[in-house]
Amino acid sequence: MKRRLWSGLVGVVVALAVGALIMLAQGYKPLSTYVALFQFSLGGIGPFTTTLKNSVPLVLTGLSAAVAFASGPVNLGQPGQFVFGALAATLGGLYIRLPAVLEIPLLLLLAIAGGALWSSIAAFLRRAFEMSEFIVTLMLNMIADFFTAWVIAFPLMDRKAFSPMTPQIAKSGWMPDLGLLSSSTLVMLGAVVLVWFVFHRWRAGYEWRMTGQNSVFARLGGCDIHRNFLAVMLVTGALAGLAGGLVVMAGPHRFIKGLGANYAWDGIMIAIMANNSIVGTLVYGVFIAAIQTGALGMELITNVPSEIAQVLQAVLVLIIVATREYTNVLLDRLSARRQAKERAA
Amino acid sequence: MNVLIGLITGMISGATPILLAALGGTFTFYAGVFNIAMEGMMLMAAFFAVLGSFFFHSWVIGLAFGVLGSLTLALIFILFSVKLETDEFVTGIALNLFALGITTYFLRQIFKVKGVFTSKSIVPVPQLHIPFIEKIPFVGPVLSGRNLIVYIAVIATVFCYYLIFKTRFGLRLRAAGYNADSLDSSGVRTSRIRMQALLLCALFCGLGGAFLSLGYVTLFAENMTAGRGWISLAAIILVDGHPYGIAAISLLFGFFDGLGLFLQNYGVASQFTAMIPYIATLFALYVYAQRRREKKRKRV
Amino acid sequence: MNDLIALHNIVKVYPPNVLAVDDVSVSFCKGEIHSIVGENGAGKSTLMKLLYGLVPFDSGRIEFGGVNVRFRKPGDAIAMGIGMVHQEIVLIPQYSVWENVVLGAEPVRTLGRIDSRTAIDAVRSKIEEFQFNLDPLAIVDDISVAARQKVEILKLLFRNVSVLILDEPTAVLTPQEIPQLFAELKRLRDRGHTILFISHRLDEVLELSDRITIMRKGRKVATVEASETNKESLATMMVGRQVIFTSKRTPHQRGELVFEAQHVDWERGDGLKLLDDVSFSVHAGEIVGIAGVEGNGQFELVNSIMGLEQPTRGSFLVKGKDITSLSILERRKLISFVPQDRGKMGASLSASILDNAIMTHHRLEKRFSRWHGLVLDYRKARDFVDMLKERFSVQMASRQSDFRSLSGGNQQKVILARELLLATPFFLMDQPTRGLDVGSIEYVHGEILAMREADRAVLLISADLEELFLVADRILVMHRGCIVADLMTEKTTIEEVGAYMLGGRASA
Repeated sequence: MKRRLWSGLVGVVVALAVGALIMLAQGYKPLSTYVALFQFSLGGIGPFTTTLKNSVPLVLTGLSAAVAFASGPVNLGQPGQFVFGALAATLGGLYIRLPAVLEIPLLLLLAIAGGALWSSIAAFLRRAFEMSEFIVTLMLNMIADFFTAWVIAFPLMDRKAFSPMTPQIAKSGWMPDLGLLSSSTLVMLGAVVLVWFVFHRWRAGYEWRMTGQNSVFARLGGCDIHRNFLAVMLVTGALAGLAGGLVVMAGPHRFIKGLGANYAWDGIMIAIMANNSIVGTLVYGVFIAAIQTGALGMELITNVPSEIAQVLQAVLVLIIVATREYTNVLLDRLSARRQAKERAA
Repeated sequence: MNVLIGLITGMISGATPILLAALGGTFTFYAGVFNIAMEGMMLMAAFFAVLGSFFFHSWVIGLAFGVLGSLTLALIFILFSVKLETDEFVTGIALNLFALGITTYFLRQIFKVKGVFTSKSIVPVPQLHIPFIEKIPFVGPVLSGRNLIVYIAVIATVFCYYLIFKTRFGLRLRAAGYNADSLDSSGVRTSRIRMQALLLCALFCGLGGAFLSLGYVTLFAENMTAGRGWISLAAIILVDGHPYGIAAISLLFGFFDGLGLFLQNYGVASQFTAMIPYIATLFALYVYAQRRREKKRKRV
Repeated sequence: MNDLIALHNIVKVYPPNVLAVDDVSVSFCKGEIHSIVGENGAGKSTLMKLLYGLVPFDSGRIEFGGVNVRFRKPGDAIAMGIGMVHQEIVLIPQYSVWENVVLGAEPVRTLGRIDSRTAIDAVRSKIEEFQFNLDPLAIVDDISVAARQKVEILKLLFRNVSVLILDEPTAVLTPQEIPQLFAELKRLRDRGHTILFISHRLDEVLELSDRITIMRKGRKVATVEASETNKESLATMMVGRQVIFTSKRTPHQRGELVFEAQHVDWERGDGLKLLDDVSFSVHAGEIVGIAGVEGNGQFELVNSIMGLEQPTRGSFLVKGKDITSLSILERRKLISFVPQDRGKMGASLSASILDNAIMTHHRLEKRFSRWHGLVLDYRKARDFVDMLKERFSVQMASRQSDFRSLSGGNQQKVILARELLLATPFFLMDQPTRGLDVGSIEYVHGEILAMREADRAVLLISADLEELFLVADRILVMHRGCIVADLMTEKTTIEEVGAYMLGGRASA
C-alpha cells in the first residue's frame, strides 16, 4: 500500500519532469507554465470546483474501465457508451418534461440505460458468437460516433444553430449548481462510493474480482462467469453512459458536435494509471482534470498551446506505469542483493 | 465502365494503408508482441510526412520523415515494453494517446492551425505511370497511374511472405512468438528479435501513414488515421498473420471504403457510409469467430 | 579424474528474498555421469541454471576447463560446449524436428534463405550417429514425449556440446521408456561427454550415476560415489532425517457407493475418443487411485467430472444423483476438488489469502453472506481464515497477503483446507502433491488418509506410482482413454501397473 503510494508519486514527479523537458525543448519556461497550470485548476475554491466538475466524465469513464479490466472484460467501448448515454439523456430532455425532482433522476436513468444498451451489444456478440469484446467495442465506438453525428446533423438538428447540435433540453433536466459546486460532482462521488461498495463488499463484486484475476479458478469455484461477464459489461456501460448524460445535463444542456471526442481514451488511461483501483481512479481522474482545466488558463498567460495537456497525459500514463512496475522490480532486486552479500560475507 | 474503374481504384487506395499497417503488425504478431500501437505509428508518420514534405518541398524527404516519426514511436515502445518490461497493452494505448497528443500539439505549435493543415507547398508522393500497360483498355487505368506507395505495398506483401516463411530471421521470428523460452535456450535472444519486429512494424506503418497524408489525400487532419490501425489489427487476427491473407482482407476493406465514397454520390448520408468499414470489420470478426468455433469443435 | 567444471561458493537470491543457492562449491569431471539430488526447492535446478547462464548468480565463481567463466546467456554456455535440457520440454510444437534442432544455428544461403536441404541432412546424420531413431521431418506436436526429449538432446549434440545438463528428464517418461534413455546417456558418457543429471528419484540416480551430489535447502550436503552409498542414506541426507518408504495405511471398511462413472465417452471434434466407455465407482471410506501416463484421458476425466466439459455420452452420479448436466455450482455441493495446477485452477495467485480461502464457501455457506447473499460478511470470513490457519498450521504473514507469497506447501494446505471444509461426500484430487517438498507430501498423504477414516470417498489421480501405492486402496489404470485395469493395491506390483500404463489391456 505504502509502496503503491510512493511509486505513484515518483511516477507523477518523473512525468512532470519529462513534460518540463519537452517544454524546454520548445523554448517555454516549464516552472511558470506549471504554476499557471495548477493556478487555474487547483488555486482556490472556484478553480477547484471547476476541476471537480470537469473530472466527472473522466472519473466515471475511468471507473467503467477500471471495473471492466479488474473483472476480465476488455471493455474499450467507453467512448461509444458515453455518447449513447448522452444521446439517451438528450432525447429524454427534449421530449419529456417533468418537474426537476423527477426529470433529473429520469434523465440519469436514461443515460445509464443508453450506455448499458450499447455495451450490451458487445456482450451479446461475445456470448452468442464468441467474438472478442476487445475489437468489437472499438468498432462500436466508431459506429456510435458516426451514428450520433448523423442524429444531431439530421433528425435532431437545431435549425437555428450553425454547426450540428440538438436544441437545448428541458430546463428541469439541468443539473443545478450548489453555489460554486456542480451537483454532477455529487452524483459522481455517489457513484464512486457505490461502485467501491459493490466491488469490495458485495458477493457479486467478489466474484467479478476473482474472475478478473483467474477465470478458470473462479469458474471451478462455482461462479457463473458468463452471467458475471454480462453484469460487468452492463455496469461498466452504464457508468460510461452516466458520464455522457451528466456532461449533457451539467454542461451545454444539449448534444453538440464532438461531445465525446474529448473523453475518448481518457477513462481507459486513468484506469491504467490507477492500476484499476477504485480510489485510485478518483484520485487520478481529478488529477488529469486539473491538468486539462489548467491548460486552458495556462494558454492565456504563457503562450503554451493547451494541447500540451494531451502530450502530458500520455507521458504521465507511460511513466507512472513504468515507474510503478520498475520500482517494484528494482526494490526486489536490491533486497536480494543485500541478502546475497550477507551470505557471501 | 468508368464507375467500375473508379470503384476499383478507390478500393486500392483504401486498402493500401491498412495493408501496410497490417504487414507491419504481422511481424510483431509472429514475434509474440501484443502490439496495438499501429494506430499511433501511422498517425505519427502521417504528420511527419506532411512536415517533411512541406518544409523541404520534397516527397522523398516527406516519406523519410514519416518513417522516422513512426520509428520514434517504436523506439519508445522498445524502451518501455522490452527494456522496462511495462505491460504491452498499456504501452500501446499510451503511445497511441501520445501520438494523438503530440501531432495535435505540433499541428498547433508548428502550423498554427487546429483540426486540418493543408497547403500547396505539401508535395504529394507521385503516381507511377507504367508505359505500355497504361495503354491497355480497362486494365491499364487500374494497374498504371497508382500512387508509388501502392506499388511498394504490393512488393512489400511478397517480401514479407518471403522474410517470414523462408529466411533464418523468419524462423526465429515465429519461434519468438510460439515459444520464447525455446528460442532463448537456443542461444537467440527473444528480446532482440522482438525489437527488430517492432522496428520493421514501424517501417511499414510509416509507409502506410505517409500514404494517408501524401497519397490518399494531401493534408494532415487531427486523428486522421480514424481507427485504421485497429482495423489492420483485426485483419491480422482474421488471417492469423499470413501476408497474402492480409492483402485479400485489406482489399475487402478497401472495397467497403470505396463503396462508402461511391454511395455518398447517390445521396446516402456520409455518416452512414463512413460506418461501413467498421461494420464490415464486425462482420469479418463474426465469420472468424464462427470458423474458429468450428475448428475448435473438430480438434480441441 | 580431472575437474572439468568447478563451482566455487555460489550464492543466488531470487528477488526479493528467496535464498535459492547458499554458498555451494562442487566440481564435475570429464566423462562422468554426475547426479544432483534433492527435494523440490533444494536448489538443484537453480544451480544448473546458474551454470548454464539462464539465471545470473550473485556471488562466487565458475571455472570451466581451468578458466574463470561467467555466461550471460545460454548462447554463451552453448558456445563453450555446455547444454541443458529443461524439466519442461521447451520445443516449438509447430515446427518440425529439424527446424527445432537447427534453430539458432541455421545454415543459410543467399538473402538469408534457410538452406533446408543441408540442415535436414546434417540433422539426419546426427540422428544416425547417436542412434536416436527420429524422423527429422516429423512435426514435434505429433511425436511422443520421449521422442521430444530426444530432440532436445539432439539439439544440443548438434551444437557439439560436451557437457549435458538434464533436469528431471525421467519425470515425463513411463517406467518402460526410462531404460532406453539411460542406455543413450551411458553411451554418450562412454564417448567422453559429461552428463549432469538432476533428479529426486533415488533408484534411478543410483542406477545411472558415477557420482552423486546431495543438496538440501540451497546448500550442498555431500558428494559421494554412487557405488559407495544406498537409497536410505541418500534419502536421509536429502531430507535431513529418516524417511519411511512404507505405507501408513490401516485396514478400513469401505461404506456405501458414493461416486459412479457410467459409460462415459468424451469425443473430440475430429472423432477421436479421449474418454472411451469409462465406468468405475468409488465408495465411502475408500481411496481409489488412477494411474496412467499423462495425456491418456485424465485431464478430460477431471474436466468432465467438474463440469468444465460435457461428456459426449454417459453420466456421473454422486450418491445416486445424476450430476452430468448440473451447473458447476450445483456439483460443488457434492464434490470437493484439488486440481493439479495450483496457480491456474486451484487459486488466484494475485488475490489475497482470504479471497482464496472463501471461494465456493462464499456461495454454499449461508453464514458468509448477508442481505440474501448480496453482501459478503468479511468479518466471518476473517474468522474463517484464522481458524483455517490454526487448524492446518499454515504459515502466513497476514490474511491480506497475496496468495503468491505463500510457499508451495502452504498454498496447497490452504487449498486442501478450503476443500476439506466443504461438507461434501466426494473428494476429487488431481496430482495433489506435484511440486511439493517431502514434508508437505507427507502432510497431504496424511490428510487423504484421514478423509478415508472420515468415510469420504476419494478419487486420487496421480502420475506418481509410489504415491498411489502409499495411499490408494484400489488402483485403476488409464490408457488411451480407457480404464484398462482395476487392481487391489495389495495384490499388484509397480511393474504390473507400469505395464498396463504403457501397453493397455493387451500387454499385461
